Amino acid sequence: MTSHFFLLEAMVTQERLTWIEEVLKFYFLKLYPDTLLHHAKPKEVVFTFLITGDALYSLNEEDKLPIWEIILSLPSVKIILDRQELDLRGISVERLKMKNPEQVIDHNSMGLNGQTSFWKDVVKIARQNAEPLPSTIGYLQLESPYMHSSGLNTLRCLTAAMEVRASVDLYCYLDGVHLSHIHQNPTECQNIGKGLEGLSDNAEKRGLQCQMFACGRCAAARGYSTWDDGKGVVISTCTIKPFRIRNLNVIIDQFKRNHVILGGNIASIKQKKNTSSSKYSTADKGSAPPVTILITKAPYGTEYAFGALSFAVACAHQGIQTQVVFIEEGVYALTGSHHLGEETQYFNLQEVIDAVAESDNLQLYAYQPSLLRRRITKNKHMTAVLDIGKTELGQLLFHSSRGSQAGHQRVLFF
Amino acid sequence: MKEELKMIPDLSDLTCTNLMIRLKILLKKAPEDSAVECIVRRDQRDTIEVPFSRTGYNVIVHNIGNNRFQVSLKKKGERQEH
Repeated sequence: MTSHFFLLEAMVTQERLTWIEEVLKFYFLKLYPDTLLHHAKPKEVVFTFLITGDALYSLNEEDKLPIWEIILSLPSVKIILDRQELDLRGISVERLKMKNPEQVIDHNSMGLNGQTSFWKDVVKIARQNAEPLPSTIGYLQLESPYMHSSGLNTLRCLTAAMEVRASVDLYCYLDGVHLSHIHQNPTECQNIGKGLEGLSDNAEKRGLQCQMFACGRCAAARGYSTWDDGKGVVISTCTIKPFRIRNLNVIIDQFKRNHVILGGNIASIKQKKNTSSSKYSTADKGSAPPVTILITKAPYGTEYAFGALSFAVACAHQGIQTQVVFIEEGVYALTGSHHLGEETQYFNLQEVIDAVAESDNLQLYAYQPSLLRRRITKNKHMTAVLDIGKTELGQLLFHSSRGSQAGHQRVLFF
Repeated sequence: MKEELKMIPDLSDLTCTNLMIRLKILLKKAPEDSAVECIVRRDQRDTIEVPFSRTGYNVIVHNIGNNRFQVSLKKKGERQEH
């Protein structure tokens, strides 16, 4: 039984792999040192890395391979690779597999169509963490289809979920809302719009639930919202039928449920349930899985950093315990002193951070090694963002001190 | 009244989350003893009224038209002029 898993799809930098290595070392050395003794090695897999897309390149690169080898030397770590995507990219993992034959899995389970599917394995791992069965599998989509292969992966994942009779939820945020566009007509790849419509039809036939949401703000910005009643209902003539354009708060409402939410770059960290509260209360704030949002991209150049912060504020506002970590290029949000003209509609991210820092259920952190690596320092006025190092990042991820009864923590990479 | 309304920022285009963020920024910047006012929609009013009153603010809301509300926020403990 897998306790924790990472699903990695985007290019993995050496920096990212290094902090992942560090948090795993923290887990084994500080929290479970006994597992490092040969006789006490756990029989079950503790960490699973599910790797697809461009993230696969990291398994074949000089600067990252040694880090993967260290990660695989830790007890009970397994990596499951997307065979189809490995072949497409001509990536060989033989060296890694030869050294760690039981831990590197490069062949996938068989799907209902008779073909092997990495996403079948993803769903299997995700469902091990889901309770009770039959479960729902959610998917958070941040990128547009066709420009990014993540759109197709979303469809593959949700299709695999439905094959094992799970209900499916799709949450489209930022450019992810483009998945909902009507009249998609690609000539060189699978039609994702049609695929999602087919998924919705299949769900109805099988008596499963299939919800697809697009964030109202993101959809409006991209020209989707053609009629808004001002009370939360938005009707668009340019979305496919299964989609509902709704306020972000409606999407966050779904995050209060206890299902596993997958995405292009996510992690799910199993946590001990806090049993001090009543086990019969399911609607209180302690039942929502805590969320850790990693802001990994520089502010302003893309919508990711602001979108992440806005998402975090919405989660916290709905009573979900939320931590935001500025890490990798995300630390640029904290450096220097940002200025914006008075008349602009856009947000100065430092002002936003300063304003939301005292919100209930929200904690903000700056990952010091990312600042050091770039030889930059945090703006000294940003005292509400607490400095953390490798150990503290490990604590944030693996200490279940946030009083949750959910049993797992969602980690979302933005 | 019209002149007065012109001075009050119309934030009815913002989503509820971004309205919260904008109001928190305005409250941080506002001089002591002053209230922050804005025009919002009904759903925005519902979203901001309870959280701000719960976290130490006096919230005063006036219906000023079809789905338009004038909201005034001021830190509790400070006298608020109507």
